[in-house]
Amino acid sequence: MIETQSLAKTYGRGVYALRDLNLTIGKGEFAFLTGPSGAGKSTLLRLLLLQERPTEGSVIVGGRNLSSLKRDEVQAYRRTVGFVFQDFKLIPSKTVFENVSFVMRVLGQPVEHQRRATYQALKWVGLQHRLNALPQELSGGEQQRVAIARALVNDPHLVLADEPTGNLDPDLSLEIMNLFREMNARGTTVLVATHDRELIKWVGRRVIQLEHGQLAGAQEPRP
Amino acid sequence: MSVVGYAFEEAWASLRRSGRSALVSIGTISIAFVTLGGFLLLSVNVQDVLDRWLQAAEMSVCLQDGATSEERGALETYLRAQPGVAAVEFVPKERALERFGADFPELRDVTESLGENPFPSAIEVRLRSDDSGDVIADQLAKDVQGRPGVADVRFDRRWLSRLIGIVTTARAAAAIAAAILMLGAAFTVAAVVRLSLYARRDELEIMQLVGAPFSYIREPAIMEGLLLGGVGAATALATVAVLYSLLAQWLGADLAGLIGVGQLRFLGWFEMASILMGGIGVGAAAGTVASRAVR
Repeated sequence: MIETQSLAKTYGRGVYALRDLNLTIGKGEFAFLTGPSGAGKSTLLRLLLLQERPTEGSVIVGGRNLSSLKRDEVQAYRRTVGFVFQDFKLIPSKTVFENVSFVMRVLGQPVEHQRRATYQALKWVGLQHRLNALPQELSGGEQQRVAIARALVNDPHLVLADEPTGNLDPDLSLEIMNLFREMNARGTTVLVATHDRELIKWVGRRVIQLEHGQLAGAQEPRP
Repeated sequence: MSVVGYAFEEAWASLRRSGRSALVSIGTISIAFVTLGGFLLLSVNVQDVLDRWLQAAEMSVCLQDGATSEERGALETYLRAQPGVAAVEFVPKERALERFGADFPELRDVTESLGENPFPSAIEVRLRSDDSGDVIADQLAKDVQGRPGVADVRFDRRWLSRLIGIVTTARAAAAIAAAILMLGAAFTVAAVVRLSLYARRDELEIMQLVGAPFSYIREPAIMEGLLLGGVGAATALATVAVLYSLLAQWLGADLAGLIGVGQLRFLGWFEMASILMGGIGVGAAAGTVASRAVR
């Protein structure tokens, strides 16, 4: 599903955020990306979302080299990827339902399909009773569940999450991780960047360790 | 929902959020278009006056005191045969004096004190008012000037042509002033749209991340500019209409009597549609420029 080849990203004069990174994540896999702050976790996710372009090497997702995508193709690619961020990135002026249906709406889906898919996604994360609430009326855990529903509503092949439990307490973090596990059980490839070792241990999936922008080690899931 | 429907909904919401800055933008556009509308209003009314004056324009062929009736008859026959001539009338010097006395009674003493009639006999020629009128009339004036019995040729169209020249220059100057004001208005609209894009930056970032087509990201900005321009131009039209009705009430009768036209008139449908479309066009162009900030 994801393959990086000699991937490097530099900022300024030769400051490497990623250096010579060779990595493969299979289709339907659940993997954690971990490492200390500045290890390059977020940079890798930004490259995978095409928010930035690599300085050297290539990123291949679903057999397509992301560096070769034109502007309109970038938007088409992003429609196949769901994302979840630490700060939720919800639109404060829109309700829970609108925040999720908004994805379907801007993709030009029929209204009935928008409603059905949005309701199903919100029901899946357990927020079908908060459809008309505004994000600021929700707890952190609920806001992150809305963000997860938004990531899923378009049925993406790949979901990327950058510190999705960074603002949540341990119980809520486990709840969110369960959602990612369920998502993965349905066949979606999931890559979660986190530095929460306890959480990684609890979920027990493949761990990709980054340090100074390089691969420091990989641990296979426990049996 | 279509892109246009989505763009309209988002643009309307954005304008409501913008509040005062949207009002400033509408005000700036209105000022530009009030100037343009006022200039157009003046222009159509001045054109009406010029057209009427041109239609009434006459050429006076003044005869020498010693001109014979044969010379006068030959001249009248020649003039009637010319294609640009609508009517020919002989005005003897006695009638010219009477006419002057009737038109300017307060100056009657001046002519009486001279002891003789200072006015020449003349043939008044009414010219046809068409596009080639000026050329034909100029040629006719030259031809008649050298004929036996002719003392002078006075031709209204010459000063009318000069007046038309002045009006044309004034129109060009007003058009340039309106264009500069519209450019200023366009910059204001672009700034307001850019500000609202900035206010929606989180939403735009999310839209980009979910892969929304650029039309969904940019068209609300274009629609916002279009609405600002349209509302600004409509406000300007309403303002010009109110100013016109006030002016027509206060000055209409006096002014109409002074310049010799029936009634002043407001802008026609074409002029009003042009102003409205102009506002929409300027706004949409400014919105398009501002939307390019989204990459």
